[in-house]
Amino acid sequence: MNALASVVFVALVLLVATYLVAVIDATIMIRVSRGRGYTGVWMDPIARAARLMMQRGSRTERPDLQVWFLAPALLAGLGAVALASIPVAAAVHVADNGAGIVLFGAAMLQVMVAVFLHGWAANSVFPMLGAFRMAAAGMSMSIPFSLALITTALPAESLSVGAIIVSQEGLWNVVRQPLGLPVYLITALAFSFWGPMQLPDAADLAGGTTAEISGVALLVWRVARIGVLVALSAMGAAAFLGGYLGPVLPGWLWMMVKTAGLATVMVWSGHHFARMRIESVVFLGWTLLLPIALVDVFLSGALTL
Amino acid sequence: MARARVFVGLKETLGRLARSGPIPVFAVTAADAINAVRDLGLRREVEIVATPRHASVLLVAGRFGEGPIAGLSQIHDQLPLPRLTVRWNGEVLAEIPQARLVAGDVVELVDRLLALDAEILAGALASESPLLPDVDAVEWRGVGPYGHGGSGMTGGTPFGRPLADRAPDRDGLELDQLPVSVGPWVGALPAGLELHVKLQGDLIQGVEVGPKVAVMAPVDAFVRALDVPTPVKLLEVERARHHLRWLADVLVVHGLSALGLWALRLAHDLSPSDRSEVERLLSAVRKSGVIKLVVGRIRGGVVSPGVVGTGPIGRAAGSGDDARLDDQSYQELQFQPVIGETGDTAARWNQRMAEVVQSLDLAARAEERTAFGSGCVEGPRGLIVSKQPPASASLLEVLPTLLTGLEWGDAVSVVWSLDLDAFATSVVLLPSGTET
Repeated sequence: MNALASVVFVALVLLVATYLVAVIDATIMIRVSRGRGYTGVWMDPIARAARLMMQRGSRTERPDLQVWFLAPALLAGLGAVALASIPVAAAVHVADNGAGIVLFGAAMLQVMVAVFLHGWAANSVFPMLGAFRMAAAGMSMSIPFSLALITTALPAESLSVGAIIVSQEGLWNVVRQPLGLPVYLITALAFSFWGPMQLPDAADLAGGTTAEISGVALLVWRVARIGVLVALSAMGAAAFLGGYLGPVLPGWLWMMVKTAGLATVMVWSGHHFARMRIESVVFLGWTLLLPIALVDVFLSGALTL
Repeated sequence: MARARVFVGLKETLGRLARSGPIPVFAVTAADAINAVRDLGLRREVEIVATPRHASVLLVAGRFGEGPIAGLSQIHDQLPLPRLTVRWNGEVLAEIPQARLVAGDVVELVDRLLALDAEILAGALASESPLLPDVDAVEWRGVGPYGHGGSGMTGGTPFGRPLADRAPDRDGLELDQLPVSVGPWVGALPAGLELHVKLQGDLIQGVEVGPKVAVMAPVDAFVRALDVPTPVKLLEVERARHHLRWLADVLVVHGLSALGLWALRLAHDLSPSDRSEVERLLSAVRKSGVIKLVVGRIRGGVVSPGVVGTGPIGRAAGSGDDARLDDQSYQELQFQPVIGETGDTAARWNQRMAEVVQSLDLAARAEERTAFGSGCVEGPRGLIVSKQPPASASLLEVLPTLLTGLEWGDAVSVVWSLDLDAFATSVVLLPSGTET
């Protein structure tokens, strides 16, 4: 793909996927809250976006303006870069070079930086506390996340996401590496700050890093956050569920179904599991997920040899 | 010209689309309007938001005492443009005289909100101007080329804000200690509660409770039962409703807004026959891990029976005091209070959840029995005695002890678990004008 077509393609995929995840989120919300009879889920995300586009932005007292404006764009950009590294069908990809999984991992680890800057730049207490939380959660989850991801490259003997998908033709990694997907999904919740790991933008901080923003900045931040969730779901589908591989249906449809499935699981968790305490997240990352991820690496390495 | 037409067309299209979604509302709520605002949150046309930055409408609800409402002008100016203010069931606001007055129930308020929102989105109604000048509280400039540095930068008060002091943290290190004020109107805390906290990172090193907001006292079934014998069925359904509304609030704060909305829906139309549905909700709450894995892990926040001996908080700490034990109707129903042990945050959650089920059970068996009417009532927060402040008022005094040393998230969990009435000790007037 040429550069312009690539940008348009990724932006379109992100926007459509973001809209669909917002619809899934609203549907689960209504189902869990027993809001029977409501049929507006398809229109709801569009209406909310339109209202935010009509709102003016907010200013706090002496924010770091450049960083404050750039952080939502950075988060959206990271989601797009991460998505670009994942093939949506056989030989259909934007940036799955020989080390696509490294590119993806690098982009996701930078999410921590984007969220921290977003909270810090507002010059306000709740956003700042949200930034602290993201730093603590992100650093605790980085190593298990990276290990779970990189382990999928062992059977493929390649860092290319396409090669990792092809290596699953006989057996998906979710079966070959049963510890990998649970570790990946839990850590993915931390990097998308969703559900039980919705720490930086939490209700006990009145919205955390978003507590002082409104209008288009808030819209971009919300879209970018869902975009990161979509990218993480897509990589989960590619690295553990065989990506576009599957019978009868075309490859891109398999990829979409698997991505939607993982995104639904993560969104569903947000409505059923309480937000964790930051101390518990740090404990979980260092004392449980890290050893499990290491066992995953050693077992997979031994099996590959 | 053509560009202007496109812009107008785009704005009209966006306005039409925006009208099909909920109106984000930030509520500044007096004690007598808290439940009405909760019911407003059940309407699909409205979304109650936790910060004024996310709102299009500032709703000032209920009857406040005389004088300005703390922080109202600042909150007004934090709403993004276009914005408007609606005054619901209360007097004209001295700070915002242009606020639209609405009297009536939730249905009437929603109709008015929809009409006003449509006008402001269409540009037919002008957005409200700021109330305060956008200037620094105190003029200050350092000596550096970007206004930084200088003698006032270390130990001074640039822009009228005191810089962070240093103080030892829990590991013995000298770290910055940031003084911040939170409340009295922010979604993270109960309405009316203002805290002045000293933060080291997200660790609270000191707490002072701010001035209390003066409001008119709500008159509910329990207040009426002070003087008039009241049906047990009514009192127990109201008690269960109160606890379910509390549950809705705390679930939202802990990231479970869907379950919170379910609790609020149940509370709205509650009857004794809803027991099985309530038990399904409580089961979902327990499965969410919020009690065992979140509030159950908080070290601190324990309230002993010596602080508050009555109500769910006292009973969660092992106190057996309950005015219902002395009432003949409850004795006939063989009422025995649920009693906890530990008095911590998780115990208070378990206590209220158990009392919801118990109250619905009592209501189902109460038949035509009446109770109380002789000057004291067992209310949902504890003992209520005529012309005396409620026993739960003493909780505000122990907040600094309870919260110091906790991380912010844990402190918020503890505060909400106490079911505080931040207005309780304010100077209040009953509608008749008699002081309480």
